[in-house]
Amino acid sequence: MDYASCRDLIDGRYLDSLTILALVAELEEEFDVTVPTVEIVPTNFNSADAIWAMIERLQEEG
Amino acid sequence: MKTCIALLAKGACFLALLGALLLTASFLFMPKNNHKTFGVGSDELFAGGILGERDHSIDVLVVGDSEAYSSISPMQMWAEHGFTSYLCSTSAQPLYDSHRFLRQALERQSPKVVILETNAIFRPYTFNDYLLSRAKSLFSVLRYHDRWKALTVNDLSGPMGYTWTDDLKGYRYNNKVAAADARRHMQPTDQMKEIPLLNINCLQDMLDLCEKHGTQLVLVSTPSTLNWNYARHNRIAAFAAEHGLPYLDLNLMPDKVPIDWKTDTRDKGDHLNYRGAVKVTAYLGQYLKQTFTLPDNRPSAAYNSWNEALKRYRSTYANPQFRQAP
Amino acid sequence: MASYCSLLYLGIFLPAVVLCYAVLPQRHRWKVLLAASYVFFWMVSGKLIVFLLVSSFSLHHFGLWLSAVQEERNRMLAAVDKAERKAIQATFQRRLRRILLFALLLYIGTLLTLKYAAFFSVNLNRLLDALRLPLSLPIPAFVLPIGISFYTLQAAAYLIDVYRGAIRADRNLGRLMLFLGFFPQIMEGPICRYEQTALPLWEGRPLTWRNLTFGMQRILFGMMKKIVIADRLNILIKNVFSTPTAFDGGVTALAMVCYTCQLYMEFSGTMDVVIGSAEIFGLRLPENFRQPFFSTSIQEFWMRWHITLGAWFKDYIFYPLSMSGPLKKLTSAARRRLGSHFGPLLAGSFALLAVWLCNGLWHGAGWQYIFFGLYHFALILCGSLTAPLSRRVADTLHINRDAIPYRVFCIVRTALLVCVGELFFRAEGLRAGLSMFRRMITDFSLRSFTDGAFLGLGMDGHDFFITAVAVLLVFAVGALRERGIPIRETVARQHIAIRWSVYYSAILFVVIFGAYGVGYVPVDPIYAAF
Repeated sequence: MDYASCRDLIDGRYLDSLTILALVAELEEEFDVTVPTVEIVPTNFNSADAIWAMIERLQEEG
Repeated sequence: MKTCIALLAKGACFLALLGALLLTASFLFMPKNNHKTFGVGSDELFAGGILGERDHSIDVLVVGDSEAYSSISPMQMWAEHGFTSYLCSTSAQPLYDSHRFLRQALERQSPKVVILETNAIFRPYTFNDYLLSRAKSLFSVLRYHDRWKALTVNDLSGPMGYTWTDDLKGYRYNNKVAAADARRHMQPTDQMKEIPLLNINCLQDMLDLCEKHGTQLVLVSTPSTLNWNYARHNRIAAFAAEHGLPYLDLNLMPDKVPIDWKTDTRDKGDHLNYRGAVKVTAYLGQYLKQTFTLPDNRPSAAYNSWNEALKRYRSTYANPQFRQAP
Repeated sequence: MASYCSLLYLGIFLPAVVLCYAVLPQRHRWKVLLAASYVFFWMVSGKLIVFLLVSSFSLHHFGLWLSAVQEERNRMLAAVDKAERKAIQATFQRRLRRILLFALLLYIGTLLTLKYAAFFSVNLNRLLDALRLPLSLPIPAFVLPIGISFYTLQAAAYLIDVYRGAIRADRNLGRLMLFLGFFPQIMEGPICRYEQTALPLWEGRPLTWRNLTFGMQRILFGMMKKIVIADRLNILIKNVFSTPTAFDGGVTALAMVCYTCQLYMEFSGTMDVVIGSAEIFGLRLPENFRQPFFSTSIQEFWMRWHITLGAWFKDYIFYPLSMSGPLKKLTSAARRRLGSHFGPLLAGSFALLAVWLCNGLWHGAGWQYIFFGLYHFALILCGSLTAPLSRRVADTLHINRDAIPYRVFCIVRTALLVCVGELFFRAEGLRAGLSMFRRMITDFSLRSFTDGAFLGLGMDGHDFFITAVAVLLVFAVGALRERGIPIRETVARQHIAIRWSVYYSAILFVVIFGAYGVGYVPVDPIYAAF
């Protein structure tokens, strides 16, 4: 399982909901952002790139 | 446009072939005779016995639900008056089935009188039920499909023919007793119980059919404390008056049909038992004989089978002790 | 029109709608669908159509209200500098939240009142009785409009999405009405999101031969599941569940498996008819099932069974709860101490509990449904808690977790756990369920099978045989789908003689082996009652 290149982490069901909770907690600590519930959609979590794009966007907005 | 027409043609072909297949299957699944050994369902068996009767030999046809087959005994009317009658009556018969049995019977019989037991008139059914019944008449595989469990080689090619007749002519004998509480039976009211719209339409169709065949439709309400009441009576009386039909409510004729609700019902007023049926039949037979000029066929050789059936009927059921009033 | 498998729906209603849809120009087609939807609703629920009308009108209004407030906020935000923005944001956020809560209260409140008032009164009366208080509440008996449990969730999702800014409020009332009331999905779902179906429905996509034939194939497959299997099992299930004490554990187990099978065939079969109907109009509804009985765990099962309901609960209950302030803090703190696996489990299980209570209650007002929800909550929690342990056990025992025997073991185990859950789900009350479960464990015997008594429960040998054949057929189709083989496409590529033979065989199979007519009692649409 190559998480860096995978493009369907959610749609391919590699990430379950509890893992996402852990991931969000880690992201919030690491990058000092708040991830609102509305951002938890497959398109934001399907790949490492998508997650990074979301973080950058949230940092800008915050 | 061109492809559209081509596709429509393709669809039509598909449907036509499907229809042909269903008709073939219908032939295959249709019971090849009217006896139960040929796969006729137990409820339709007795009603289907009419198919084995000689063409144009039935004088009175009765359709209706279990009230009919519990209350009217054709053999008794034969014994007392000599006209033939047959009950095409099934459990919880919906009115569209009454219509179907009427249609089926009129294909080969020409009764002078058709009796409709009125309880079925109020039994509601959905439009979907009606549609399904029409579809079953068109493709009988829909009605007899469950015979896949017992299909034999004979069903592939066997000739069709109806040879079985019911000695009871559709009546179903029962001598259990379970007394009814009839204190509140037929309390007068001005209210009317509505007949569902689909049922009204079906009644109209039955009326038209009878008219076309020159047969008189008669409405009869057999005694039942559970199923019959004054509101229903009022509605049927109004309908009968509106269409000029004779209407007998046997619930309201204690002097002519003296039902004793302690002894004459088999299930607390839902249905009559044999004792009750004898009383109903005695009056009904007399009424029919007097009102409509019905023949006495007993001496005719053509009706030998009825006389023989009567012998078997008497030896099995109608022993004198049942017929004595309590 | 009591069911999507009725002759009235498939033989008259649907063809008539398709015909009108076909002959009208594209811009009027949505009106055909809308009119058909309201006729359909009226035919099932009569006057209760008012509920759907009021829900649609108010949904339109609330959506526009939210978006008007949002626009006002955006205008004000644009006019001020960065320092003041936060205060304005907060003020408007409060206003928006109040509107949303008011609207949700209205929808959920209606649903709760109609569905649970009787249950609430009965149980409160019991409590009052137990406390020896001389009080009792009247027990209301409401008639539910068809599909209210489904369209209420769609309406709620729409408003929350508008509130979150994920979608724009729809100005077109007709489009919104169609989204909420579209006739194939109104009775039993799938629960659709606005962005999934509203626009495609309104577009009036052209009819195509492919959509027509594919849709009809899907419908036929669904009818097979419903009429051949689910209806055939019905009498046996009714017999056993209505007199639970009359049978030994063996028969109870048989009825349990039969009911699980019936529930799946009835619900997924209806979904096939529903999705097939929509497909005819060029619309792809979201799938509700993905071969659930190939699941290796309960958690996976719920990602494959009634998918749209699970997704709704995940998006609108699980995440909002587990991402709310206090639970998020809990997750952060717990993660530092317990690690990434157990850390989020604590907060997650709170949210999960809420989800499963809602899931249980959504199915109906009854303790057995609450028990059903909690049962699955416990199984999923156990699964998560023991995941690291079972991984370690498997590693020490050198079990290849991808090997087929291990997967089969997991699949069978999951299916059994699901069956037990459905036993409680179907039982007539929690007490009956518990007694049946106890009987299955303590009084298990195969006597009824060896002496042939099981053939007298409402299904004869022929019935069992044809049911087995049909279940195997569904299993085979499921196995092909698991491998990603598209069945309808494969059939479509064949020569016309083969293709038509397949269709005709399928139709005759349903006509001949269907459990309808004298001697059968078809099962009522199970999910339409929820």
